[in-house]
Amino acid sequence: MTVYETDVPGVGRKFELDVGRGARAVVLLHHDGRVELFRRPSPEADSQKVFDLDSTAANRLGSILEGAYFESVDTEQLEIPVGGGIIEWVEIGENSPVAGRTLAEADLRAETGVSVIAVQRGDETVPNPAGGFEIRPGDLLVTLGTRKQQAAFADRCAPE
Amino acid sequence: MAAPLLEAGVAFAVLAVGGVVAARAGLSVIPAYIAAGVLVGPNTPVPALALVSESEFIDLLAELGVVLLLFFIGLEFNLERLLASRDRITRAGVIDLVVNGGIGLGLAFLLGFSSVTALFVAGIVYISSSAVITKTLIDLGWIADPESDAILGVLVFEDVVIAVYLAVLGALALGGSPEGVAVSLGVALGFIVALVALAAYGTPLLERLLATDSDEQFLVRVVAAAVLVGGVALAAGVSEAVAAFFLGAAFGGTSHAGRIERVITSERDLYAAVFFLSIGLQTDPGALAGVVVPLAVLVPVTAVSKLASGYLGGRTYGLNQRRSVRVAVGLVARGEFSLVIAALAVTAGLPRAEEILALAVGYVLVMSLLGTVLMRSSGRVEALVARLRPPEARPTP
Repeated sequence: MTVYETDVPGVGRKFELDVGRGARAVVLLHHDGRVELFRRPSPEADSQKVFDLDSTAANRLGSILEGAYFESVDTEQLEIPVGGGIIEWVEIGENSPVAGRTLAEADLRAETGVSVIAVQRGDETVPNPAGGFEIRPGDLLVTLGTRKQQAAFADRCAPE
Repeated sequence: MAAPLLEAGVAFAVLAVGGVVAARAGLSVIPAYIAAGVLVGPNTPVPALALVSESEFIDLLAELGVVLLLFFIGLEFNLERLLASRDRITRAGVIDLVVNGGIGLGLAFLLGFSSVTALFVAGIVYISSSAVITKTLIDLGWIADPESDAILGVLVFEDVVIAVYLAVLGALALGGSPEGVAVSLGVALGFIVALVALAAYGTPLLERLLATDSDEQFLVRVVAAAVLVGGVALAAGVSEAVAAFFLGAAFGGTSHAGRIERVITSERDLYAAVFFLSIGLQTDPGALAGVVVPLAVLVPVTAVSKLASGYLGGRTYGLNQRRSVRVAVGLVARGEFSLVIAALAVTAGLPRAEEILALAVGYVLVMSLLGTVLMRSSGRVEALVARLRPPEARPTP
């Protein structure tokens, strides 16, 4: 996969990436950190602006795309050996056995050893959800545990 | 000190108002700054508004604006990029130079300018405005599409031409007698060779010069280097703009290039605004009325010549018809460089300098607006060209 990189005098740098079916993603990096994201549907078409981001938002988007984004958590509350923990994202399906139950009812930590460190619901992020927090279908649980614990957790949440 | 400070305050205030007006209208700030200068200057048509005189401090800030403007262009000047696509850039750039420079020179002679003054007029109508064009490319989103490569390629070629042209023109204008011109040319050449050598071999020195964690120290050092070199150049009879350009190119080769751009952009914008204002201050609306006839010749002819050379340039760049039309409309705007050339004519005390300045001001006012408007309504131009020359109707090779 080729990334085309060009200097844009007086502006910054431009990157282009083929994204399939003749379309290209165009990223314009301004000197001041501002980032414009375009999509060019075909070589003959005009690029359409998708996003105009300041440097903070651009960095965050970049780390999300890289899979390296997570909210910082209070590690003192966690019972995972240092270095052994990984963070996972677990989506709760319509038929998941834990859907409709609170975290305390589901008792996931005791069963699997995994801590739910945040829940993404729509546009909202609930950091450090309490035991009374009710899990709903469509929630995205951000979880911390060892690889083995994470596997058990995913099984526990999957529809039976 | 109260009076100069108040005058400076008024000057910046009218620039601020001009900026608001330009932003509202969706147009470049350059014509707005010039108009603001005319309006509050000594030659204003509204005597009650004559608040800012053409004083030494305005001249100095304007001079700093020219130095930083060209320093920044040099900083951005990327020789490797130019060489990487030199075939296409050179072809499009040479078409641009031959067509517009040639027609400019022909028109200048036709309008009764002779030798050196005709060269000034040719330069004024040849060079497009990087500032106006780049801003509009970003506003319209063309910056993401291939036509911007061709447009910016031509602009980079023009930068090189203008650096050499200003050096020669500066020597011709500042040198006086034939021997003086020869000496000036020699000094200018020596200066450029020294700065190019600095770019080639002096990178470690420049790196060390700017090695500091403090942004404040960094800024002071960069401005000191640019202004000192510009000042020494001017004292030696070389265009300060040319010296600043080559110094900028030398700094562009160091690892500090990005940081210099970040730190110095606001200074450049501030002083460049004063430069445009000072051009307005020096302009007599009466003199503008006196150049209406030459403008009526220059504007339509050089607008069409830029459109033609731009279209051809786009085609040699390998772009299709529609994108080539965009390159054509994208190169029409003239701006800061035309004014730098006119300012040089005034500094050198050239015969008919006042007329050249008035001509440049009137020309830039019209062409910067026309260029922006053409780019904004490029959809209609593209449709018109497609109707006149349907792409499908041409015989396939």
